[in-house]
Amino acid sequence: MARYLAGRAAGVVLILFLVCLFTFVIFFTLSPDPAVMICGKTCTPERIDQIRDVLGLDEPFLAQFFGFLAGIFAGRDYGAGANLVHCAAPCLGYSFQTNQSVWDMVVERLPVSATVAVGAAVLWLFLGIVAGLLSAVKEGTWWDRAAMGLALGGSSVPNYVLALALQYVLVVQLQVLPFPQAVAFSDGPALWFQSYLMPWLVLATGYACLYARLTRANVIDTLAENFMRTARSKGLSPALTMRRHALRPALTPIATIFGMDFAALLGGALITETVFGLNGVGKMAADSIAKNDQPVIMAVTLLAAFFVVIGNVVVDLVYTRLDPRVRITAR
Amino acid sequence: MTVAAHSQQVAGAPATSGRRVAGALLHDRAAVLSSAFLALIVLMAICAPLISAITGHGPNDFDTAAVNTDLGGVPHGSLGGIGAEHPLGVEPQNGRDILARIAYGARVSLLIALAATALTTLLGVVLGMLAGFYQGWADQVICRVMDFLMAFPALIFMIAILSSLPQGNRSVLLVVVISVFGWPYLARVVRGQTMTLANREFVEAARASGASTGALVFKEILPNLRSSLIVMTTLAVPGYVGTEAGLSFLGVGVAPPTPSWGQMIASSVGWYAVDPMYFAIPGTFLFLTVLSLTVLGDRLRAAFDSGEAA
Amino acid sequence: MSELLVVEDLTVTFPTTRGPVDVVKDVSFTVGRDETVGIVGESGSGKSMTSLAIMGLLPRGATTRGSIRLDGTEVLGASARELRRLRGDRMSMIFQDPLSSLNPYYTVGLQIEELYRAHRGGSRAAAREVVTGALRQVGLPDPERRARHYPHQFSGGQRQRIMIAMALVCSPSLLIADEPTTALDVTVQAQILRLLADLRGQSGMGMVFITHDLAVISSIATRVLVMRRGEQVEYGTAEQVFAEPRHDYTRMLLDSIPRIDDPLDEVSA
Repeated sequence: MARYLAGRAAGVVLILFLVCLFTFVIFFTLSPDPAVMICGKTCTPERIDQIRDVLGLDEPFLAQFFGFLAGIFAGRDYGAGANLVHCAAPCLGYSFQTNQSVWDMVVERLPVSATVAVGAAVLWLFLGIVAGLLSAVKEGTWWDRAAMGLALGGSSVPNYVLALALQYVLVVQLQVLPFPQAVAFSDGPALWFQSYLMPWLVLATGYACLYARLTRANVIDTLAENFMRTARSKGLSPALTMRRHALRPALTPIATIFGMDFAALLGGALITETVFGLNGVGKMAADSIAKNDQPVIMAVTLLAAFFVVIGNVVVDLVYTRLDPRVRITAR
Repeated sequence: MTVAAHSQQVAGAPATSGRRVAGALLHDRAAVLSSAFLALIVLMAICAPLISAITGHGPNDFDTAAVNTDLGGVPHGSLGGIGAEHPLGVEPQNGRDILARIAYGARVSLLIALAATALTTLLGVVLGMLAGFYQGWADQVICRVMDFLMAFPALIFMIAILSSLPQGNRSVLLVVVISVFGWPYLARVVRGQTMTLANREFVEAARASGASTGALVFKEILPNLRSSLIVMTTLAVPGYVGTEAGLSFLGVGVAPPTPSWGQMIASSVGWYAVDPMYFAIPGTFLFLTVLSLTVLGDRLRAAFDSGEAA
Repeated sequence: MSELLVVEDLTVTFPTTRGPVDVVKDVSFTVGRDETVGIVGESGSGKSMTSLAIMGLLPRGATTRGSIRLDGTEVLGASARELRRLRGDRMSMIFQDPLSSLNPYYTVGLQIEELYRAHRGGSRAAAREVVTGALRQVGLPDPERRARHYPHQFSGGQRQRIMIAMALVCSPSLLIADEPTTALDVTVQAQILRLLADLRGQSGMGMVFITHDLAVISSIATRVLVMRRGEQVEYGTAEQVFAEPRHDYTRMLLDSIPRIDDPLDEVSA
């Protein structure tokens, strides 16, 4: 077990290192000189040199890269003498645009993305699994056809189209919701709930449709298993047969898919957050990309990769608890 | 003796199964409707210049007469300027014809999606078969690369790359970037199937009878991957149509003034309250195209599956 | 003496796209207490459908005619609740593939325990005692510890022993064994056959033994029913059927059994 975890941890570190390196190489070679961008329009060559010096942009590639890595684990200093700025341990640098600490920006925005992700996940898990179960049990009936037709349609709507359509119907036409705006929980739970309702719905729709189809397929496959025939031949009640013998095998694979989807969302729902103006990590990513704010782009890429990789490990560990056939063996 | 008979049967299967699958699809109303809609879109894309010639509006021709400049450029008429002059209405402010832009946008969307699918399939099949057929270190390397690419926050990274690359030929860049992050999903399946096929008796029989590696791959393994490849590629196209539209929506796709559906929807964001048709029309085209492709892929899979069960 | 199981003119019909098809046609046989009846036939002969009809486990859409009486109780047309009370308690079934017939997600102990408690109730602790006893009875070593293991942790023969322990935990009066040894190694087959015969002898229950293998039937059954394409082609005591088969099909089946006294070249031909 300890050996397995050590192996997985090494894998996580390696992948994150590669993501860092890859992203760094791309920006080092491709993007325009950040010093020129930071400096702005009224700029002198001396000022550009100064900025380069402070940010260490005049150093060779490897020095810059390892400077960045060292910053994450040990913190780093920018500039020298009177201009010296110390950036404490999880240091992701400073935004070229706002001079804010990137780590602070991430910490500030992560709760918004988490709220979006958790709310949507609750919705889609509930809707998707219930609809899929009903369809599987009533396979071939009008309910099954209608639900699966809807699910196929729902998973084909791009979420920004759905976002616009929902806003038009709920806000402009029916006027049941206010115009979307960022609201903190402290501003009042009702208002907060209203402001997150549309993002949750938009994000949950596609996943709910996908999960409904997955659940249906898995349950139908499980119901045809030989062990279901055994369960029926034992004279168990239909409720127990369904709950114990069908649901667990049918839903276990969905748990792993859910883990991966949820982990990916924690790294920011880029389109949904942008459309609804929610100040989460996703919107931060979109903004930083639009303004070529490299330290922030690095941070969001790394953060998203971090969640995906950690999510992968968590899913594998949870799976060994869910399926007794899977046992941990060190590779 | 039985081995030879088996391989003959497998080799003979695709031809008849192709006809059977086509027959099954023809009897499926949803599949027929989807195909008809897709044919319409393809026709529209091909005939885009013809459509412009007939209506007299190119995709980038301004028509200030069609919009009300006093009201900030809202189109005249109730439904976003829909009328005899502009069958699908006009854009607010500049009055560009939406039908022409949809038709030209279809070219961009379909070309990018199809090209990305082709490139993804090529990469996925070649690398997946390499990994599955040779196993050993080739498999190790390819699997690590796939793990790495799948752990990558693809959307953020695609946007980041595309935004920092020179404007240049955006369509080609889009195809390359989408494919680089897309192939592992296909390769994973191809690898698994190749592995099982490589150990099946008819491939072993061919190998024992001295067939070259090339003959093994092209005559024994590839034909058996055909049905799953058809299904996977059909289901990949709607994904890429959506990805292209999404990237264009976020402003890193095809560069204006080249029209694209995603870009049209993006520019309608500020107008949805006063001119809902502006997002509804490209949104509907995008939705129906993705839906049709998904339905078709789904039915293809069902048709192939029922063939295997029989 | 009254028979344990009486099957009269059983017909099972399936709807297909080309109209209804009879998968079992007018089959009649009886099983006495303390007796084994063998049903023989190739795959698709309707032998498994006959057993599923007795258990009330036919797939959805299947319709039945005729009569199946267990100890005087009519099974065809019984309510779902009545059938549930019979299944697992008065009649049990074991299947061909013990691995896929056990749920991989639960310990074998729990899977036996839930059957016992569904019919007899009682505390889990009491049920666990019974489970241990049942596993010991089928010859599983260290039953207390092994009850906490999952199906994949057993060998094929052990799994079939577990299925038998499960089927017999409520001491049913009828056991249906549907090709119970087909998926097993030859040496294990003999062990399982002997176990089934021993347990049946000890408990005095009736057994329906379904197989495609006449050689197996000859060692275990007192009466034999031969089926082909849903129809019953031969029915009689094992001695009758083996000594003077009345039907060509039975004769063909008998001829296909390899015999020790056969010259070697004939076997390989």
